[in-house]
Amino acid sequence: MDRTKKDVVLCVVFGLLFAGGFAACLFLPKPKYSDSERRMLSPMPVLTAENVGSGRFMADFEGYAADAFPFRDSFRRIKAWTAWKIFRRQDNNGIYLAEGFLSALEYPVKEASLERAAGRFRAVCEKYLTDENKVYFCVIPDKNRFLAKESGRPSMDYAYFERRMAELTDFAEYIQISDLLEKEDYYRTDTHWRQERITDVADRLAAAMGTVLSHDYEIHTLEQGFYGVYYGQAALPLAPDSLQYVTGEDIGLCQVYDWQNNREISVYDMEKAEGRDPYEMFLSGSLSLLTIKNPNAPADKKLVMFRDSFGSSIAPLLISGYSQITLADIRYIHPDYLGQFVDFEGCDVLFLYSTLVLNHSDTIK
Amino acid sequence: MLFSSISFLYYFLPLALALYFVSPRKLKNAALLLASLVFYGWGEPKYVLLMGLSILLGFGFGLLVEKYRENRAGKIFCAVSVSVSLAFLLCFKYADFFLISFREATGLNVPLLRLALPIGISFYTFQIISYTVDVYRGQAAQRNLIDLAAYVAMFPQLIAGPIVRYSDIADQLAGREHSWHGAAWGIRRFVIGLAKKILLANQLGELCSAFRASEEKSVLFCWMYAVAFALHIYFDFSGYSDMAIGLGRVLGFRFQENFNYPYISASITEFWRRWHISLGTWFRDYVYIPLGGNRRGRERQLLNILAVWMLTGFWHGAAWNFVLWGLFFAVLLTAEKLWLLKRLEKSRLLSHFYTLFFVMISFVIFNADNLGQAFSDLSGLVGGGGIPLVSADAVYCLRSFGTVLLAGGIGATPAVRGLAGKISQSTAGAKVWTAAEPAVLAALLLVMTAYLVDGSFNPFLYFRF
Repeated sequence: MDRTKKDVVLCVVFGLLFAGGFAACLFLPKPKYSDSERRMLSPMPVLTAENVGSGRFMADFEGYAADAFPFRDSFRRIKAWTAWKIFRRQDNNGIYLAEGFLSALEYPVKEASLERAAGRFRAVCEKYLTDENKVYFCVIPDKNRFLAKESGRPSMDYAYFERRMAELTDFAEYIQISDLLEKEDYYRTDTHWRQERITDVADRLAAAMGTVLSHDYEIHTLEQGFYGVYYGQAALPLAPDSLQYVTGEDIGLCQVYDWQNNREISVYDMEKAEGRDPYEMFLSGSLSLLTIKNPNAPADKKLVMFRDSFGSSIAPLLISGYSQITLADIRYIHPDYLGQFVDFEGCDVLFLYSTLVLNHSDTIK
Repeated sequence: MLFSSISFLYYFLPLALALYFVSPRKLKNAALLLASLVFYGWGEPKYVLLMGLSILLGFGFGLLVEKYRENRAGKIFCAVSVSVSLAFLLCFKYADFFLISFREATGLNVPLLRLALPIGISFYTFQIISYTVDVYRGQAAQRNLIDLAAYVAMFPQLIAGPIVRYSDIADQLAGREHSWHGAAWGIRRFVIGLAKKILLANQLGELCSAFRASEEKSVLFCWMYAVAFALHIYFDFSGYSDMAIGLGRVLGFRFQENFNYPYISASITEFWRRWHISLGTWFRDYVYIPLGGNRRGRERQLLNILAVWMLTGFWHGAAWNFVLWGLFFAVLLTAEKLWLLKRLEKSRLLSHFYTLFFVMISFVIFNADNLGQAFSDLSGLVGGGGIPLVSADAVYCLRSFGTVLLAGGIGATPAVRGLAGKISQSTAGAKVWTAAEPAVLAALLLVMTAYLVDGSFNPFLYFRF
């Protein structure tokens, strides 16, 4: 090929790429939601004189142009692959892959965040509890506890984290569970722990709180694969997890009331199991206040659990030991309103939080 | 609008090029101006008017200066034109800096103007100044407002240079050649610049951000930061210049080179001949030489150097660390002029080490938010503040960014160009490269698109200057 032909070919190739890209951006359908990233994509900004004059249209258009780009997920995979394989980056968008598990870098320990979380929990106790309430506190280590240091990633000092939280929550009895967990107890592509593998954790909590659990468990597996939250963020081609859930006589008899939406719900929401985030099948995901009633258990055993999303999957395992468990997620409801719905008299109180929330406690109201 | 954005690559550029190439020859400058105003207005709608006013004033003063060039009035018009341009720059870029300094010095609570910095004002102001001064020096004034506006506002180089002299492209504004060869050359250059920005500069910028965010500083981390930022600013800025030069060539213009592998320099003097060449030559021709250059004795020359480098530092930003940065180079360049250069010539290795070391130190000062941070970052390089030698953060970042740092280090030398040259000189290599080049460049564009789709907004460093 002579020089002129070569130059023409190059110009034509790039002309087609830019013109084709332009046409594709303009005419191909644009999804409103990204399943892999689990977020709404930026919409096309409204073209008004005011928006243009203020520059808002242009600023919003940048986000829209990237979000609405054709074959977005494929391009994100190309980027992830290039970062991983060509540039040998140890993480992609803060997500790393180690021993087949995806996890997000969580480092360092944020002292102020721990203090804030403990302060919020203390405020709840001071507002609602008396000396008759038994109060427990438990830290759920995130997956990095078992992956980060071993794979050469920066890692929090988890022993210090727990020790510090226990010191800060001296109003509660600390229950340690980290010795019961290992990386296999977590989903490979998601932040959360696997319900079917934490029955020993439930036993430890129950024993510490003076109750006994039934072990009448039956394990079920969802037919479709579970692509966890890290899967979409990492944009790497990995196999999905299998999502399993535990049923039993007590769980089957439970009645669950969702105070946020004033409705009865089931322990396992099978519609959500087929939805965008199957982990939301456990007690219907992020709801601010729930009450689970178990007609089989002794009437005097009641528990109020302050929790994050990890609590959704362990609460069903604990229900056989209680006649009622109230789950409060004070990221979504201000503790000041709890008194309208929750009677703390005679209840044990458990603060069960993952390190991920404790280390970013701005979300706690 | 950023070159490294989806909106530029897949919306603006196809439309702008289509408009430009379908326009008849006589209307090409008008088409270019229209596209450039949209490009500028996309980021700064209200400041299009400011730029328009600057252009109008430059145009008017250019005609006046030409008309009265032989009289004293010509000199006055030229001085007024330069003063007005500088007044805009001072008002929008430096007013609050001076007011804050005044406040700190006197304790008086003078209100601040709080004006947003118009993007690219430092660049287009210098272009307008160079235009009127060149006219005063004998260059024919532009009689077509659209042509002059197209020169000042030309989108490839509008917001981050290179600073194109009117005298360099006056003929090209009147008529220029468009060829497949020029367009292909421009595309290659553009893609290489885009790759420098997206694949290297942005990732090196991530490392710098990781350093800033880290609560575990260490000596190793401080050095990694110093190296990473020196590479980051080089790939960021030279990448932009490559894209500007490439786009200019697609449109038929030939812009001056702005970088020539500055990190292979054996002295600071050589470094500044290779770094931001258009700015260095601008200060030489419009400040240093008019001040007397080296024609009025050694003492005056050293004073001129001091003035030029203080202004160079100040041009980069309205903060004391930029002034310190400029003075730092003034001291080094003075030392080289007086005695150091001759000694450096004795050891090539030592001279390279010396140059890289001081350039790296200078960029640590450059990138600090204030003087306090600059000194803190510098002291970290020698373990100041009792920081440890190594931290977990530093080791992790070294592992995660090691390949990028290595690629950056190699890319900052002519090694890759040399290798490409050798391949193309061999018959077999040339054949393979000829066949593969479009596919390789297209694949590179797709990978960079993938980074843009996945990534966030990454403005170029030189936008703030």
